[in-house]
Amino acid sequence: MMRLLAAAVAEPSARLAPLPGFVESPFSPLVFEACRRCLDAQLVDGARTAVVLCSLMGDTATADLASRRLVGGRVHNPLLFMQATANSVLGYLSREFGITGQQLSLSTLDDPLAETLAMADVLLDEPDLDRVLVVGVELAGGARVEAVRGELAGGAPSRSGAVQGDLAVAVLLGRDGGPAVPVPQARPGPPGSLRGLLDLARTTVGGTR
Amino acid sequence: MGADVVVTGFGVRTAFGAGAPALRHGVFGGRPAFAPTSRFDTGPYRTPMAAAAPDGPSGTGSLRPELVACGAEALDMAGLPAGEAAVLVGAAGDYTTITHFWRSGDDVEGATAPYADAVPAVLAEAVADGLGLRGPRFAFTNACVASSAAIIHACRLIASGRIEVALCAGGYLVEEEVFAKFDSGRALARDGAVRPFSADRSGLLLGDGVAAVVLESAGHARSRGARPLSTVAGWGAASDAYHIARPHPDGAGLAAAARQALRRAGDPAGATIDYVNAHGTGTRHNDVAETRGLRSVFGARAGSVPVSSTKSTTGHLLEAAGVVEFVITMLALTDGVLPPTAGYTRPDPECDLDCVPHVARPADARRALTLNAAFGGANTALVLERP
Repeated sequence: MMRLLAAAVAEPSARLAPLPGFVESPFSPLVFEACRRCLDAQLVDGARTAVVLCSLMGDTATADLASRRLVGGRVHNPLLFMQATANSVLGYLSREFGITGQQLSLSTLDDPLAETLAMADVLLDEPDLDRVLVVGVELAGGARVEAVRGELAGGAPSRSGAVQGDLAVAVLLGRDGGPAVPVPQARPGPPGSLRGLLDLARTTVGGTR
Repeated sequence: MGADVVVTGFGVRTAFGAGAPALRHGVFGGRPAFAPTSRFDTGPYRTPMAAAAPDGPSGTGSLRPELVACGAEALDMAGLPAGEAAVLVGAAGDYTTITHFWRSGDDVEGATAPYADAVPAVLAEAVADGLGLRGPRFAFTNACVASSAAIIHACRLIASGRIEVALCAGGYLVEEEVFAKFDSGRALARDGAVRPFSADRSGLLLGDGVAAVVLESAGHARSRGARPLSTVAGWGAASDAYHIARPHPDGAGLAAAARQALRRAGDPAGATIDYVNAHGTGTRHNDVAETRGLRSVFGARAGSVPVSSTKSTTGHLLEAAGVVEFVITMLALTDGVLPPTAGYTRPDPECDLDCVPHVARPADARRALTLNAAFGGANTALVLERP
């Protein structure tokens, strides 16, 4: 049985603080903000805490900005190199909160809620761990992301299609304390949708915003 | 302790070509694969060098078919048909599709490129569908520990009895997006040589790498008469909590991961480890940190444990590093030969390890440790044991 100890949702806003060393993309600030709120709400032993980041497409803002610079013949900004992988913000997070457990990043076409809960269940069986911080993050993206979404939906590459907003959802899980995490229900939806994680965060403990 | 985890098959491709014979020639032969790459115009960059075959290790030039081909080879070697195996793939996606999209301008509607291959999970799905595997499938995207993290997760799933079989893969093919980022970060060796643990090391070079391994419970392998190539005796993972890109200067996370793996292998002091396949990128920061980490793990014995970096021949394979180096480590145990650190010139007092310079070394090695580290201070360790 897994228990939900804290939850938080982060969306773009004027109050979203920039992160030192991260530029242009909201990906890392959103991840950090959602995680920070969880970890501020519930103290953890960093040595016994793992972090699982789940994002179907990753930091598309950084990837597309870097690619457009390349195609345009411009030199890369070294900061884009530093933040090119989701590991970077997890490194920042781990330093700020003293988290020395494993950090993982996943991409799944299935329901991120089901996949990350299954991952957390495995991690919580490890003798060295008793908390798992799960964070899901997706960016609305631009033309390329739209084209990819069109392909994933079964159509040809296209510049049209529904766009979801930038969003990060974090939940802190353990074996004790807090309400039980319900078994995720199969839910139709676009690949990698954060809807299940968002519902868990909002309905179970309110999901601070 | 749970079920024992064994390896029963593998497929591997690097700039040296496909399969174990190519690794024996290149990696164990101490022959660096670096050359000016013709895959894209390297004019804007500080170096043209990479360990990249002109169109990828088997001529397809595309990550998806290379991953599927390696997976098929691994299943074939294991003698496993399509089934319920989990598919765990370490990959960041095919970045060439991103470049292609932005170069295509407004002509996207007529384009035929599968832009979705930029999505890591799509590659995992492609491997599973292409091989008829019906278990859970997803991608690990945590950079240079992605495929070792996939192996560790598979070990946990198997040891806990959740699954019996997993196909773990990883892939990276040299392309301009990532090359340009590493160039901008001044991480690439400008003189075209990777010299891990040498006093004059100046950085890494990228390389092509794709590999897949079949992991299964020992009982499952036994029940179908499969011969284990290796046992995965231990695994561990830990974070540095230090910096977004640089390793902890004392290799703290790497040492913690190694200690976890050794504890699980029943050897907390590492007394039974006969060889270490190091992360060994050849950068100023990594190699000192890794040396300190290994010294803290092995104590007084550290200077006498053979430690080599095979990135000196293959280049840095990024998301594929973990699984390719896992295969290399397994070959070292089965062949009784330790791969060398190529390109070594002169000792660095801060990297005072036995780094097996230049020439492969015969050794009756029974157990080995393979280490990987990544941006964000993510570290993994795996202990392999010869059956």
